[in-house]
Amino acid sequence: MIRDFTLNDVLYLVAAMRWTLALTAIAFIGGGIVGLSVALLRVSAMAPLRWIGTVYVHVVQGTPLLAWLFVFFFGLSIVGVEVSPWIAAAAAYSIYAGAFLGEIWRGCLQAIPKTQWEAGASLGLGIGAQLRCIIIPQAVRLGIPPTVGFLVQLIKNTSLAAVIGFVELTREGQLTTAVTFRPFTVYLTVAALYFALCFPLTQVSRRLERRLHVAR
Amino acid sequence: MSLVELKDVVKRYGQNQVLNGVSLTVEKGEIIAIIGRSGSGKSTMLRCVNGLEPIQGGSVSFEGTKVNDPNTDLRKLRQHVGIVFQSFNLFPHLSVEKNITLAPKVVKGVAPAEARALAESVLRKVGLAEKIDAYPDQLSGGQQQRVAIARSLAMQPTLMLFDEITSALDPELVGEVLKTLEEMARDGMTMMLVTHEIGFARRVANRVVFMHHGKIWEQGPAAETLGKPATPELETFLSAVLH
Ligand SMILES: Nc1ncnc2c1ncn2[C@@H]1O[C@H](COP(=O)(O)OP(=O)(O)OP(=O)(O)O)[C@@H](O)[C@H]1O
Ligand SMILES: [Mg+2]
Repeated sequence: MIRDFTLNDVLYLVAAMRWTLALTAIAFIGGGIVGLSVALLRVSAMAPLRWIGTVYVHVVQGTPLLAWLFVFFFGLSIVGVEVSPWIAAAAAYSIYAGAFLGEIWRGCLQAIPKTQWEAGASLGLGIGAQLRCIIIPQAVRLGIPPTVGFLVQLIKNTSLAAVIGFVELTREGQLTTAVTFRPFTVYLTVAALYFALCFPLTQVSRRLERRLHVAR
Repeated sequence: MSLVELKDVVKRYGQNQVLNGVSLTVEKGEIIAIIGRSGSGKSTMLRCVNGLEPIQGGSVSFEGTKVNDPNTDLRKLRQHVGIVFQSFNLFPHLSVEKNITLAPKVVKGVAPAEARALAESVLRKVGLAEKIDAYPDQLSGGQQQRVAIARSLAMQPTLMLFDEITSALDPELVGEVLKTLEEMARDGMTMMLVTHEIGFARRVANRVVFMHHGKIWEQGPAAETLGKPATPELETFLSAVLH
């Protein structure tokens, strides 16, 4: 039965945004942990560790996110392991975001001159303290714009989770279209809602960058 | 036991043998000026003393501890050996105070309140007490280099290494840094300094070490060695730098 596109539908779409946000948060936190590990592996002084990091990044960047979602949701259930959509999404998105964030952060770490590590080492700081007190604080400032850029991509890519049953913003839009036959209005609304999520982020990123720059 | 002992040190970068059996001892309180042509291995030798460069042969020891032994805790050793670089290498994201107090706080566990006082005292030594809250990019090159010296001094090292610390400075800023060095010399600090300032070496150093082709080619008391070189290589080098 076809019905009109009403304010109620808009509210449903807005409500569906919470899944978009939840997925983004999980992906960003999981991906952040994986990504930091990958970045550290890739700048390690030990060659085998660097190789592990490199292989990981190449494999993940060379495969579609959709494939990882399928592997964790359908693949594992075929071999008898039942996983909830949340677990599957958390695993797939962490793996995916980890590779990209890892690469972004590796670049930032490597942009800090070797002499900064040396200056720290010469003062008796260990590797951990060099990273924590000298390298990472400088790398973070460089890392904010590309990280936020990736976060914006991530928000949009959470729509892929619809294939394993999440009714997030895009999927809710599809469902609304199916009952209202108003694709133009519905998807325009969906697009506007994505924009409302992403635009402030890029603004915050700019402000943060400027503030960190002033405070060095 | 000498403070620093290098014995037949060999250092290679791939095929390129940079140190060809360098032997040198430094006693406590000595001031050693290291001179030589570009590429002769001066920086490399200095960096072997605090273990920044691994070596392929021979041995380096500091206060009897083998620097090139894998079991040596380099972090501990480096608390006693300060190094100042040509390019300052201050931490650009930290204020002068934080640059100076970082290592004392993290490595030695100095309390924040004491740390500020420590920063003030080493900054007074280099004549920059009023810059304690500045950031490195608000300072001139000469000031940055003096902060770098203060940062090393805050660890109360036994030995200071200086690698051409005035080479990146405008001529009018060289004097203030050399003056700081002279004051440290007067306080009895043991120093090994790579320098192109021959006049300064003659005035301040006890001993001059001339490096050539990865070897210590000639060494001796500063005035004598610089005044009457024993080898034609040093003579050539000196006439090239002095003219
Ligand atoms: N990290 C490195 N990798 C490869 N070769 C290096 C490295 N560092 C130095 N070398 C080489 O080692 C040799 C000695 O270098 P070193 O920096 O010790 O010379 P130096 O006497 O300090 O010269 P300068 O007066 O130009 O500073 C040079 O031939 C240089 O090219
Ligand atoms: Mg050099």
